[in-house]
Amino acid sequence: MAPDRVANALDNLIIQIVPPRGPNEGQDSWLARYNLSHELVRTIINTPPDPDILSDVDRAADSIKRKLIQSNPSHALRFSDLYSRLLALPVLKSKWAILYLLYALADSPDPRAPPPPLSIIQPSSSNYREAVARDAVKKRARARSKSIPMPRIEDESMRDSPAPEELPHKIPKEPKRIAEEKQPQPEPPSETAILRDLPFTLQGVSSTTLPFAKDDILRLPATLPLPLISILHTLAEPSLLYRRLDNFCQTPANGLLAQSLRSAISNELRSYLTLVATLEGQIRKALSSLDEAAPRGGIGKTGVTLKRCVVWTREATMGLRLMSLIAEESDKKKGGQLITLIHSFASSNGDPVVAAFAERLLGSFTRPWYGILRHWIYDGELSDPSLEFFVREQTDTQESMRVKGNVWEDQYEIAQDMIPSIISQDFAQKIFLIGKSLNFIRHSCGDSLWVEEYSKAASKELRYGDTATVEVWIDEAYKTTMKRLMDLMETKFRLFAHLQALKDYILLGKGDFIALLMESLAANLDRPSGAQYRHTLTAQLEHAIRGSNAQYDSPEVLRRLDARMLQLSHGDIGWDCFTLEYKIDAPMDVVVTEWGNRQYLKVFNFLWRIKRVEFVLLSTWRECMTGSRRVLQSPNQAVVQTWKSTRGTLAEMIHFVGQLQYYILFEVIESSWAELQKRIRKEDCTLDDVIEAHRRYLEDITNKGLLGPKLRHHPSDNREQTTYLDQLSEILRSMLSYRDTIVGLYGWTSSEYTRRQEVELRNMTRRDDDGGLTSSDNVPSEFPALQERLRHLGDKFRNRLQVLLGDLAYQPDVDMRFLGVAMNFNDVYAPLRRRGKAASIVSAATSATAPSASTSTLNASKV
Amino acid sequence: MPREIITIQAGQCGNSIGSQFWQQLCQEHGISQDGNLEDFATEGGDRKDVFYYQSDDTRYIPRAILIDLEPRVLNSIQTGPYRNIYNPENFYVGKNGMGAANNWGDGYQSGEAVYEDVMEMIDREADGSDSLEGFMMLHSIAGGTGSGLGSFLLERLNDRFPKKIIQTYSVFPNTTNAPDVVVHPYNSILSMRRLTQNADSVVVLDNGALSHIAADRLHVQEPSFQQTNQLVATVMSASTTTLRYPGYMHNDLVSILASLIPTPRCHFLMTAYTPFTGDQVEQAKTVRKTTVLDVMRRLLQPKNRMVSTVPGKKSCYISILNVIQGEVDPTDVHKSLLRIRERKLATFIPWGPASIQVALTKRSPYMPMSHRVSGLMLANHTSIATLFKRILKQYDGMRKRNAFIEGYKKTAPFSENLDEFDEARQVVSDLVMEYEAAEDADYLNPDNGDKATSAETDRRMA
Repeated sequence: MAPDRVANALDNLIIQIVPPRGPNEGQDSWLARYNLSHELVRTIINTPPDPDILSDVDRAADSIKRKLIQSNPSHALRFSDLYSRLLALPVLKSKWAILYLLYALADSPDPRAPPPPLSIIQPSSSNYREAVARDAVKKRARARSKSIPMPRIEDESMRDSPAPEELPHKIPKEPKRIAEEKQPQPEPPSETAILRDLPFTLQGVSSTTLPFAKDDILRLPATLPLPLISILHTLAEPSLLYRRLDNFCQTPANGLLAQSLRSAISNELRSYLTLVATLEGQIRKALSSLDEAAPRGGIGKTGVTLKRCVVWTREATMGLRLMSLIAEESDKKKGGQLITLIHSFASSNGDPVVAAFAERLLGSFTRPWYGILRHWIYDGELSDPSLEFFVREQTDTQESMRVKGNVWEDQYEIAQDMIPSIISQDFAQKIFLIGKSLNFIRHSCGDSLWVEEYSKAASKELRYGDTATVEVWIDEAYKTTMKRLMDLMETKFRLFAHLQALKDYILLGKGDFIALLMESLAANLDRPSGAQYRHTLTAQLEHAIRGSNAQYDSPEVLRRLDARMLQLSHGDIGWDCFTLEYKIDAPMDVVVTEWGNRQYLKVFNFLWRIKRVEFVLLSTWRECMTGSRRVLQSPNQAVVQTWKSTRGTLAEMIHFVGQLQYYILFEVIESSWAELQKRIRKEDCTLDDVIEAHRRYLEDITNKGLLGPKLRHHPSDNREQTTYLDQLSEILRSMLSYRDTIVGLYGWTSSEYTRRQEVELRNMTRRDDDGGLTSSDNVPSEFPALQERLRHLGDKFRNRLQVLLGDLAYQPDVDMRFLGVAMNFNDVYAPLRRRGKAASIVSAATSATAPSASTSTLNASKV
Repeated sequence: MPREIITIQAGQCGNSIGSQFWQQLCQEHGISQDGNLEDFATEGGDRKDVFYYQSDDTRYIPRAILIDLEPRVLNSIQTGPYRNIYNPENFYVGKNGMGAANNWGDGYQSGEAVYEDVMEMIDREADGSDSLEGFMMLHSIAGGTGSGLGSFLLERLNDRFPKKIIQTYSVFPNTTNAPDVVVHPYNSILSMRRLTQNADSVVVLDNGALSHIAADRLHVQEPSFQQTNQLVATVMSASTTTLRYPGYMHNDLVSILASLIPTPRCHFLMTAYTPFTGDQVEQAKTVRKTTVLDVMRRLLQPKNRMVSTVPGKKSCYISILNVIQGEVDPTDVHKSLLRIRERKLATFIPWGPASIQVALTKRSPYMPMSHRVSGLMLANHTSIATLFKRILKQYDGMRKRNAFIEGYKKTAPFSENLDEFDEARQVVSDLVMEYEAAEDADYLNPDNGDKATSAETDRRMA
């Protein structure tokens, strides 16, 4: 072993063991302490091992066995059994060393624990937590070691060695400690005197022999023999703890639970006092029958000795220790945290004594908390003056002031750190929901009658202890309230009807109504937005309602429907800013939130635009179609050809709009709607679930409905990073301008037609034969321009569409890829890959294969 | 303010189909035989006023005009179970009650005589509608009244309502077996000229295919007219469901037709319907699981088409609209479309975007259906030209011999010459060429002068 490694290890060891530098301790003293310990360790290492230790397995085993027979014969038997097994083990080599080590360990005092008398030097919580933890493991060993004087003596002799003696005394960190001032007292008090005074001491009252110097210092007479001192040390612990706890109980409590804790502790203290009283009785009885003549004042015969007192008070001391620990730690905690603290002793402490004690404490201590809980889950009211419950009213920030009225979301919240460990997270959530729902029913739904009835009917006393029953009750309360709330939402406020209405009107589900509205508004909306009057809009809305199936809808729904203009920049025409609105008021606005309304509006505007384009295209188609029966017939080859290609383009556009609408309606809205229905029709659906489902529904629609902002990122050029919405708007706009041009062509062709008719008529009257020739001669100048413009617009549309298809083909979303497939079902278009990654336009051939490849993978995944 | 549609039923066949159609509609909308709403018909969602208007006593009256030159079929309607729903003023029976003797010319010339009366009815109905969408004519083209008078009415409707859609459900004669009417090629060709020039959309129902399907599906040797009519009525009601049960899309006739007919000439639609079980016929009830894919695939099978065509190698769909009724999950449609595309079950035109467009609609809640999903296909397929070709061939065969031509010469349109025959033939053969041209990729932009169009232009200039 390298010497520096040893030095390093030692260094670490010492730094870990030697207490760190205290706040009011000089660097020098700490260094000195460090050096001292370093020296000590070095000497220990360097001294040769005890010569009388022989490396003999049997000897070591024998000495262990002897020791065990002394203390516990049954263990000796078990030991010999284990020992024989150990011998048979081939793996271990230095068996004697192990045994010897174990033997030595059994005798040595616990190195971590300061020697018993010192343990009360600092009755601070951290020490007790350790102690309590250790107790579970060491209980037996300690009980044994205490009953045997041997180790005690060794204990004392150990203290002769310089290190342990010196070190602990050099830790004057805290002012509280027992001062073992060795006052020069000529005559030590006899054990009987001490015994007589002991009950007082145990009650925290000063006595002549054992006076309390300060609140937490017990003065021991210095002249006593060491063994007695050590016993008194032990006995001083409960006394000091009692004083301290008594003080604690006197301090004013901060909150109901703290108060209850104090009362619970004082209850426990009372039983401690009973114990002391019994002890006192015993002592008195013993002392009265004392035989002065006997050695040691004849105490040994009476059966009441100091040592016995130690044994008697042992259990109580444990309790006191625990309480003191709780008292100390409760300082910074409140409410649920307190419960958690005590519950941690009850549930996770291996020592059955500690656990039982904590459990007992919990029973009485949690009563006010259960009171709050009861009030919360049966009345929906939070009666928690000192903020101890895990539900709390949200503090009024500016945020919540602004979004006023969302009682559901913003009124209460869960304080995670206040959830006591006696209930699980899920359960806390449930409890939170129950109260919140009750509150909501009472205040927002105006159904306080039901809440009162419910609280009368269902209210039950909740207590700590029978967790299963409490859970059943809470579950019951949960079910009842949730059902009631959903019932109210459905029947009284017709939430689902409103969602349906939103879908029907805002998402254009009622096609006949929308078509009629659009038709009757068309003339109006062609004018600039400034020229739109609200009364015309509402009149047309009314008209559309009465003319369509919407008239059969309930008046409750129809009254919420409103048509208005959005505030848009000046110069837009009516189409751009018209909007339909569906008014949602409280308490439904917790589901259809302001955000939801905005989403609906967004979707409506998008759909309305598509619908408008469809409307325009269809009326154009109708004109062309009916026109072809008469006015659009032309003898001119070029005109016929132009009409033909125009119709082709028109058909493309109609196909595009049709597919787009089908996609949005069935692939997006309907499927999202089905999903929403599934979610909110579930048996145990809560309002929160509904809210969440509705939010998801809207998100699905906006994202899949090409309204979402995400489009594949093109790192190379940011200019082209347009959204689908932009692309579609472009395409829709190009359709509108195409239509305008068709109207021009129509006008031209029909005027041509009338002109020709007139010519024909003239010819007929004149019986002139060369009429046919004239008509084909003069193709007016207007026509080529129209022709050119149509071709140009058609190409533009097609290009845009191909770019869009290219984008769609590489979409991660399957449904959106499907839209691309549906639009290009017979592979007429060659979807254009953007110049994003490949830096060059993929040629038509390769890009045509790319989407089909993607479709086949699509098929594989879908079919 | 719905987009009203006025139905004009002309001739024996048209009226038989029509009465079946109205019966079906009444059942679907829960309208009783006296025109009142049945008590159970409370579930809204349907739009009755497309095809009905409400009289003062709130009875539902069909917007239908029933015309025939002989009284037999109309009499049976007027004595039938649904006699009370019709407006009695909307019946027109030829004055002499002699019929048109299966002669197109006869029917056409009698048009002049009936014009005033019939137009008065049509005007009355048109005035009674807020926003008339168009007309739906039901007739057969093989006989006399439906084809002759029907043709006449088409021409006049065209003049009178130049901006209204005119759709016809035209029953074509059985071209494969022994025909009921010997002179049907004449009548057909003459009618087809009007169907081509004066109608916006023609739903072709081929009697041969109809009786074949009816026989096949209903398991009878010789299906009665009543059974084939039921088939037609089913098709008609299915193709109008989107109008009657408004949804997001396809709420008016234009939106349906616009998605099907890209160029005005090619407006002859064929249909397929599945599953056709005929609920009255006990043995026709099949045990079959109808899925969307199943229905959509079956709709593409030629044997389910109500037109007997002989598709060539280049034959292709110009457009398809599938009206799917019933409880349908959109994702099923999605999957089916991809499957059909993958397996190339349908070929489409090479010159423009075309796909299987789908309209999902509600089904009448009052008509119990044995199957979960049913579907109607409206398709614009180039192979329909083969039907026209067959008629042309039969026509040419008879015309060469001038067989039975005497009867026509006696009528007004042919009193001077037989030019009408030749012109009509020209129109039909142009139509065939138009359809054939539509199978080529350069249909819209022929680089070197498309023959069909130039021929057309030539004809028009002449």
